[in-house]
Amino acid sequence: MPEESLTRSATLCAPVAWERGRRNMREAALDSERALERFLAGIERRAFRIAKLALRDQAEAEDAVQDAMIRLVRKYAGRPAEQWRPLFYRILQNRITDSQRRQKVRRAVMAWRPAAGADPEAPDPVESAVDPDGGPDAALEGEELLARIEGALEGLPGRQREAFLFRNFEGMDVAQTAIAMGCSEGSVKTHYFRALRALQEVLGQWKT
Amino acid sequence: MEDMNRRMRELERRSRAAFDESVGSLDAATRSRLAKARAVALAELRQRRLRWSSSWIPAGAAAAAAVVAVMLWQGERATAPGEPALAAFEDLDLVAGAEDLDMFEEDGDFYAWAADEAAGDVG
Repeated sequence: MPEESLTRSATLCAPVAWERGRRNMREAALDSERALERFLAGIERRAFRIAKLALRDQAEAEDAVQDAMIRLVRKYAGRPAEQWRPLFYRILQNRITDSQRRQKVRRAVMAWRPAAGADPEAPDPVESAVDPDGGPDAALEGEELLARIEGALEGLPGRQREAFLFRNFEGMDVAQTAIAMGCSEGSVKTHYFRALRALQEVLGQWKT
Repeated sequence: MEDMNRRMRELERRSRAAFDESVGSLDAATRSRLAKARAVALAELRQRRLRWSSSWIPAGAAAAAAVVAVMLWQGERATAPGEPALAAFEDLDLVAGAEDLDMFEEDGDFYAWAADEAAGDVG
């Protein structure tokens, strides 16, 4: 009886198809998890350095990166992989801003006890001062150079600092930086140019 | 103007090189804590997927059972009443239970083969 066979076949095929769909979904989920892990592994160290530059505190920078990772996973794991980087930095930037506000409050409270409030990692003001002979010499490299840049970055307005960190240190293009900063591409260009000019003035002329 | 651009490019280049160097020389303890942070984030992802799938699997199973029931009902209408329809309901009993659906995970190929065989009977 063809109808009977057709019915029996259908009863068997439907669960098989359902199971195959489930298996495909599971494989897709594993692929996406592996892609996310690669992304996070590739970004975590740079993100930490950027957070530490902004927060000047090792533990707070680590917490900020971990929070940003968790929030990215919670909210944007399903987005296309090419969107992860700007989204991650946008989350990280928001987290950094929150921490900076808390730091400000803490400093205000600690101002009552100046000795306890002194930041041991704050740059030496003499070291950070502008060189009257034209700025950092060409021999200045590595950690020392970065410390000078950190000191100079601290003096920049927040948006200029963000533009510099994302564009120059993280190497994001203008469009990605605009997503990370939550502003237009034109604003990114303006902030970045102003940041470069200000750093140039603070650090002096680069001898080549 | 050109000189300013050149100096800015130099500032970009040297500051980026200094930053890259600092990233490359991160201490082992920091690297380990960052790897742990990543593991925590990925565990969160797995947990969310597990919650999501455990909330949808019963619904999916119910939907599949409903589809099978409709097909059987249609099949019963097309055939004479009696034994064939009863046999079809035995199939429904086999495939609709949650424990039976789990069997497909272990032996999906067998059921795919059985389905092909049944399709062969029709042709």
